[in-house]
Amino acid sequence: MLRQATKTMLGFRSSNTGSTAVPIRVLPRFYHERVVDHYNNPRNVGAFDKNDPTVGTGLVGAPACGDVMKLQIKVDEQTGKITDACFKTFGCGSAIASSSVATEWVKGKQMEEVITIKNTEIAKHLSLPPVKLHCSMLAEDAIKAAVKDYEAKRGKSVASTTNNPAAEA
Amino acid sequence: MAFYPKILQRVSRSLTTINNYRLLSSSSSDYSVLFHHTNSATPPCPSFLDNNNNNNQSGVCSRDFCSGSSNFDQLNSQGPAPIDYSALLQEDEFHKLADATIHDLLEKIEEYGDSVDIDGFDIDYGNQVLTVKFGNLGTYVLNKQTPNRQIWMSSPVSGPSRFDWDRTAEAWIYRRTKAKLLDTLENEIKQLCGDPIKLS
Repeated sequence: MLRQATKTMLGFRSSNTGSTAVPIRVLPRFYHERVVDHYNNPRNVGAFDKNDPTVGTGLVGAPACGDVMKLQIKVDEQTGKITDACFKTFGCGSAIASSSVATEWVKGKQMEEVITIKNTEIAKHLSLPPVKLHCSMLAEDAIKAAVKDYEAKRGKSVASTTNNPAAEA
Repeated sequence: MAFYPKILQRVSRSLTTINNYRLLSSSSSDYSVLFHHTNSATPPCPSFLDNNNNNNQSGVCSRDFCSGSSNFDQLNSQGPAPIDYSALLQEDEFHKLADATIHDLLEKIEEYGDSVDIDGFDIDYGNQVLTVKFGNLGTYVLNKQTPNRQIWMSSPVSGPSRFDWDRTAEAWIYRRTKAKLLDTLENEIKQLCGDPIKLS
């Protein structure tokens, strides 16, 4: 059964590279070039100040399960547009690429728009194999968690200013 | 800054668990089914931790488990929520239930594949991961996610989903949609292949 899968993969691989098919005695699975690209040329890796009121932080996953993603967004308070995003991910190449793609896609968008980003789109963009679809789901969760965190922070600060109207004057 | 020490603790705790887990797993050639993308030299990935000591170990971690998870989608789809540890299954109970479910699915789907003519049908169970290929129609991957006491499924129809054992319903349920594992599989396989299948 595994031989059948290996043959299929080898066939696929040789057509992909365009060179003559050389029997390859390595594991038959490999990363899609987009995933490799995100790995070699990481975009938006970094961190914002968690306490900055314009920053929303989404932290999802668990080390025990293999993946942790921290995705942060910087939001323009006036327009509700995401001006900047960064991430740090602990996990496999697909998880890193998924969160990297997520930071690229949220930049310049409205918060209401980014929560509609679906894991299926990320997975399709990166051609993730079935077993890695969970990574794209985690990236979607990270975006939602970041937005939720920002909203919660704003809600708290709005509540505290309404409690102290005297301070405004 | 108080953030990081907690994460370090969690990681070192989980690394011990992971190392124990690795000792239990077999080293058959079917290892490759679960551990795709494995190179002999794992390059350091942008680590969540700044502590360099953990870089090598995080490389090991990312090789052991192939997909991410979320402790936070346990309760509802509204985002992170605290986990009720008292409701979590004991590990051996979880293994018994999950193994029984997956083995049962293996038998029934294998029988289904034999009786229904699907081009390129293949079913494989290696290293506690069940992979079912319905030819060009798509591939299902089912595996246990022990730290979360969940069964994870990757479906060509509905994408990734994570099922928790519900004691009252005596079924594996995906909390976001309240869907049951067996019902979902029955519906999807019928939709995919045309012929109905009985899994419960």
